[in-house]
Amino acid sequence: MSIQETSKKLVRWSLAASSFTLAACSSMNPQPQAPIEQRMEISFVAAAGDKIVRCDQPITGLGTTWATAALRDLRFYVSDVALINDQGKSIPMKLEINSWQTNELALIDLADASGACASVSPEINNRIVGTLPPGDYQGIRFTVGVPHALNHSDYASAKPPLDVQAMSWAWQAGRKFMQVEINPEGGVARVASKAAPGRSFLFHLGATGCKGNPVSGETVQCERPNRLQLSLDRFDPKHQQITLDLVRLYAGVNILRDQGGALGCMSAASDPECGPIFKALGVDLVTGATAPQAESNSNNAVFRATPK
Amino acid sequence: MRKNLNLGSFASQKNLHTKRKSVAGLVLLSLALTATATTYISNWSWDLPDFFPDPSIPAGNPMTSAKVELGRHLFYEQQLSGNGTQSCASCHDQSRAFTDAKKVSIGSTGESHSRNAQGLANAVYHPTLTWANPALVTLEKQMEVPLFGTDPVEMGVNDSNKTEILKRLESQSLYQTLFAQAYPAVEAPIKWEYIVQAIAAFERTLISGNSRYDQHLAGKAELSASQVRGMDLFFGEKAECFHCHGSFNFNDQTIHAKSRLVDTPFHNTGLYNIGGTGQFPEPNRGVFELTHKDEDMGVFRAPSLRNVEVTGPYMHDGSISTLQEVLDFYAAGGRVISEGPHAGDGRFNANKNDFINKIDLNEQERKDIVEFLKTLTDEEFLKNPKYSNPFIKISVSKIDQ
Repeated sequence: MSIQETSKKLVRWSLAASSFTLAACSSMNPQPQAPIEQRMEISFVAAAGDKIVRCDQPITGLGTTWATAALRDLRFYVSDVALINDQGKSIPMKLEINSWQTNELALIDLADASGACASVSPEINNRIVGTLPPGDYQGIRFTVGVPHALNHSDYASAKPPLDVQAMSWAWQAGRKFMQVEINPEGGVARVASKAAPGRSFLFHLGATGCKGNPVSGETVQCERPNRLQLSLDRFDPKHQQITLDLVRLYAGVNILRDQGGALGCMSAASDPECGPIFKALGVDLVTGATAPQAESNSNNAVFRATPK
Repeated sequence: MRKNLNLGSFASQKNLHTKRKSVAGLVLLSLALTATATTYISNWSWDLPDFFPDPSIPAGNPMTSAKVELGRHLFYEQQLSGNGTQSCASCHDQSRAFTDAKKVSIGSTGESHSRNAQGLANAVYHPTLTWANPALVTLEKQMEVPLFGTDPVEMGVNDSNKTEILKRLESQSLYQTLFAQAYPAVEAPIKWEYIVQAIAAFERTLISGNSRYDQHLAGKAELSASQVRGMDLFFGEKAECFHCHGSFNFNDQTIHAKSRLVDTPFHNTGLYNIGGTGQFPEPNRGVFELTHKDEDMGVFRAPSLRNVEVTGPYMHDGSISTLQEVLDFYAAGGRVISEGPHAGDGRFNANKNDFINKIDLNEQERKDIVEFLKTLTDEEFLKNPKYSNPFIKISVSKIDQ
């Protein structure tokens, strides 16, 4: 199934941008007229090359060995969403508050409970919904990650979507920013430990090297933020969507043979599998900063704009 | 020599609760409806030895006896695990100072942990929690690991069962009552955040400071000649034990109510040195697992030695079985592994703590130190009914039937 074909099925999610008036505040607002905001949706899709990725269909052509795998889970947090107008200015998008969004971030969840994703929740969310002032928007900026101020909040009392347990990363006292898990055909050999092969190649992106302050009881800093700041300078939200391409994500890594560290990559700077994956994403594995080329490249290897 | 005696049985806490309510009522009358905070007026006072500092308690989770009693029930509640087979107590057994006598613990779905279960005595004084994690600084935050962790699965609480588990508790009148008593101002308190709070509050009450050694300090007990020799070695420059185990809690990371500066040292003791590279086995490389910095390779938190007699096997991976062998390991200044995948001479691990070097300790001296360590066993703590399984009477009556 091609991206174009599936996109038609997704039309029900991506209604064309519409306008509405913020009326409720007018009586309390000293300004004469509330601005008319544009409602906007940013759609996301996962693909392997030009094929849509689904839980119930094999994904082919992955990694250095062109391996076949089944998707097990695919979710990521998106924050700091701004659209770039025709003057090159970034205008922050005001996110609606719903079970997938706070006003600061959204959780994109592209894994339903079918196929190898059987253990994950069936609900999916493939879009960010919000409003913007009227304007001619030509590009988009966003961060794959949870802002530091929210990352270390307690899961048990957090507001949705920060309460999703599967995205918790308790040992770093934070959250996974991105969780992409696949089951390669034939499993994953553990080369370094010579242990029995694992079933899944796991990729977890998150801030590492976190430290707490025992006196205040707070997590105060993480050495490697590992947030991916992206800027796609050509993006038309009406006719385009943002594609996460798994072929490009795994391009430099052998998903059938784990050379050491966690099975797959859990953002460890010393993990052999993290090098190529972080390089593909555009995050510096040593500093945890987004590499400049990723920030400014409108054709990022992994996340890019494609036609709806 | 106790500051206070307050912790009561569940029955007496019922009375306390009633009393507390009436106190709160008086406050309300005199202050004319100040705030719901009056319901949290702490009826708590610590039961501490004289030389223990007042604990530091997070402002967001004040101690009350009703909350502690709720936490005690939840700590022993198997329904809190996804498949209903494990409670916190499954790996934290009071009679073993809240450890489990296994090399490494086994989670509710059968997965092996990579680490040895740590004791919970005096956990309230730990500035960082678990074996090697500078990120976990509150018991509330730490608890998210065993409850919700997936690598490995411990209690196995996840998105698909977390609501169902709450329903299991809601269906029991016992918990309806306990939650209502612990959170009188909250409309529907059977929620994960309050479960976590209550268990943390219970854990903070697990104070161990009445060992034979403590009684000796208070002039109430005498130590044997061997124990005294062991004590002198322990606190002396020859054996050097006290550098990492010298606080009132016999470790080197402590926090309390008046702490201004809190050090959180971690140490490499030369337990491994795979192929001479300094490496420790994955995924047990200490703080390195979080920071991936070379200087953090193989560094772990020095555990408290209180009740160490009953907390074996020892070390983060349970790889040393007895106290005698632990002494042999430290006297050698590290461990030599001659074959297998972990082969290497730990004595020459480049990242090893400088205090750990070959010590000239004869057989008798090692025995004396072990004898001294046994004086840190607090029998009252291991049997204290305030920390015990509140459901045990129910299971006895089931057996009777």
